[in-house]
Amino acid sequence: MKSTFSLRFFFSLAVAIMAGYALYASLHWPFKTALFPRVIAFPLLVLCVIEMVLSLVVAEKGREGHAVDFEMTTDVEPQIARKRTVAIFSWTIGFLALIVGVGFPIAVPLFVFLYLKVAGKERWGLTLLLTAFSWLFMEGLFDWLLHIPFAAGWLSFLWSS
Amino acid sequence: MLDAFFQGFVLVLHWQTFLIMLLGVFLGFWVGLLPGLGGSTTLALMLPFIYKMTPVEAFAFLLGMHSVVSTTGDITSVLFGVPGEGTSAATILDGHAMAKKGEAGRALGAALMSSLVGALVGAFALALAIPVVRPLVLTFGAPELFMLAVVGIAFISSLSGQGGRAMLRGFLAGLLGLLFAMVGQDPQAGVQRFTFSQLYLWGGLDLVPVLVGLFAIPELVDLAVRGTSIAGELPAGNLGRGAWEGVKDTFRHFWLTIRCSLVGTFIGILPGLGGGVAQWIAYGHSVQAARDSTEREGFGKGDVRGVLGPGAANNSKEGGALIPTIAFGVPGSSAMAILLGAFYLQGIMPGPEMLDKYLTLTFSMVWTMVIANVITVAASLFLLNQLAKLTTVRGSLLIPLVLFLAFIGAYTSNNSLGDLIVFLCFGLLGYLMIRCGWPRSPLVLGFVLGKIAENNFYISTTRYGSAWLLRPVVMILVLVTAVVVVYPLLRLRREGGPSGDVT
Repeated sequence: MKSTFSLRFFFSLAVAIMAGYALYASLHWPFKTALFPRVIAFPLLVLCVIEMVLSLVVAEKGREGHAVDFEMTTDVEPQIARKRTVAIFSWTIGFLALIVGVGFPIAVPLFVFLYLKVAGKERWGLTLLLTAFSWLFMEGLFDWLLHIPFAAGWLSFLWSS
Repeated sequence: MLDAFFQGFVLVLHWQTFLIMLLGVFLGFWVGLLPGLGGSTTLALMLPFIYKMTPVEAFAFLLGMHSVVSTTGDITSVLFGVPGEGTSAATILDGHAMAKKGEAGRALGAALMSSLVGALVGAFALALAIPVVRPLVLTFGAPELFMLAVVGIAFISSLSGQGGRAMLRGFLAGLLGLLFAMVGQDPQAGVQRFTFSQLYLWGGLDLVPVLVGLFAIPELVDLAVRGTSIAGELPAGNLGRGAWEGVKDTFRHFWLTIRCSLVGTFIGILPGLGGGVAQWIAYGHSVQAARDSTEREGFGKGDVRGVLGPGAANNSKEGGALIPTIAFGVPGSSAMAILLGAFYLQGIMPGPEMLDKYLTLTFSMVWTMVIANVITVAASLFLLNQLAKLTTVRGSLLIPLVLFLAFIGAYTSNNSLGDLIVFLCFGLLGYLMIRCGWPRSPLVLGFVLGKIAENNFYISTTRYGSAWLLRPVVMILVLVTAVVVVYPLLRLRREGGPSGDVT
């Protein structure tokens, strides 16, 4: 409860800072350019401050504040959940780093292979099959058929220079 | 007129036209399933292929493809929590929640049948409305469109949670979405706003990476945290068994489905609002249809009405969007703008001639939408058992494949690495919003409507000064906005506030 409470506060604070920055940035624009961002950022800032204050002083009763949206699972122990959350975000960021580093055509099969083998601890046969499938799917549909121009990875630039 | 109506049907069923339409439907089926591959992009890619076709064949091909994209987009949204199409993101909220409860079959059945009902309503509206729609479209100028955007955001924000606190967060999310829409070049003076000297941001944030990130990342995180399959530890059984139940749900809530279809058609008719808006307004309407706060609490956790509303609206809006395109040559959405290009490629000028010289062609479009959707829904229902079984595949196998599709879906919107960064940032934002109880739907609607609202606000003030506030439709819409904001609070007060334990 306490960590959720503080996360709510800090999230509202971050949005308030964003709204504050939007108002500040709009000071340098012509009136017509600045008008709409100001019309949005001002109430956003005010409502964020209210939300921050409420997060600090008012305990939410019952299902109040409950969003019409899905909720993260609560069946897993918080410590394990935190560990798994950090792990999946690390994998996601790692995938992006791979794409930037070696480009989509290599990054996709490499990521699928590594995830299945390291995180999923899958059998070799299944891992290789899905890796091959992902490579074929990407090359076949997005490269050969749709001719999507995939950016070359930074490493290939370094290699060629 | 009746002659032209039946002639249009016969033309579509001509074997050559029918085969070409089937090809279009097949392409649309897969485009809808794959995240990021948009219907508009595919329409544009397919334009060169219509040169040698007759007008009936060309529109059977293009409309056959385009009108089923939202239908199959719902399948990806339900099964994986990743929007197959930008127009099927709202289906995730309850559709994927149902899949997690082992009700993938029921959710898919409901999504598909409501899509079919929506498509039929849209096509019916198209057939009926062409002669009478002119005064309606002309009533909606820039001030009315601006106010309609305000009503939309107020509507979804006020209905996105329980109690005043949730409403506050709903409005915060809506305003945040509007602020994100301000990124890029100011449409009036060309001044850079929040671009941080990045060329990528000059054109603003693209909807596809924003949507895919906002919805896919939190679902993947949840799947990884649970360490199970999407349907959890539920017995594999026959997950598609509920499909018939989903079909029946559509008829159990038939008036809701019809009302949401009409919402979609109406928003489709209005130029510039597009399908991204229709689904969320329809979702808001579905939530509003709940009898009390306890019932409303079920939304977002797997209430079938949350699937029926957006499912119907995102298909019916296609028929609606065709109305101004055909009648005045004013496209109702980006896809319709591309379709307008097809008219010119075929040497046809949209306008009064479509109701006279080309009336049979107009009705062949109506029939194409109907037949294409019937075929797609029938084929999907046939495959449903197999599709629903995907929710029992363990998470460790699904995560890398879904993540790969999400990354590539985000990338294909602009073919830029910037898309991937936007995708990740909005993924993190989506995760934090869920953790903090902020609803995501107002943010998406604010983001979609931001530029439309600003443009129309600017045009209104430039053209009419402050006098636009006194236009009758504007005043009605101001009143509607007030009712939309105040009514949920009054209702809550009457019901004695939200109940339950302290969280």
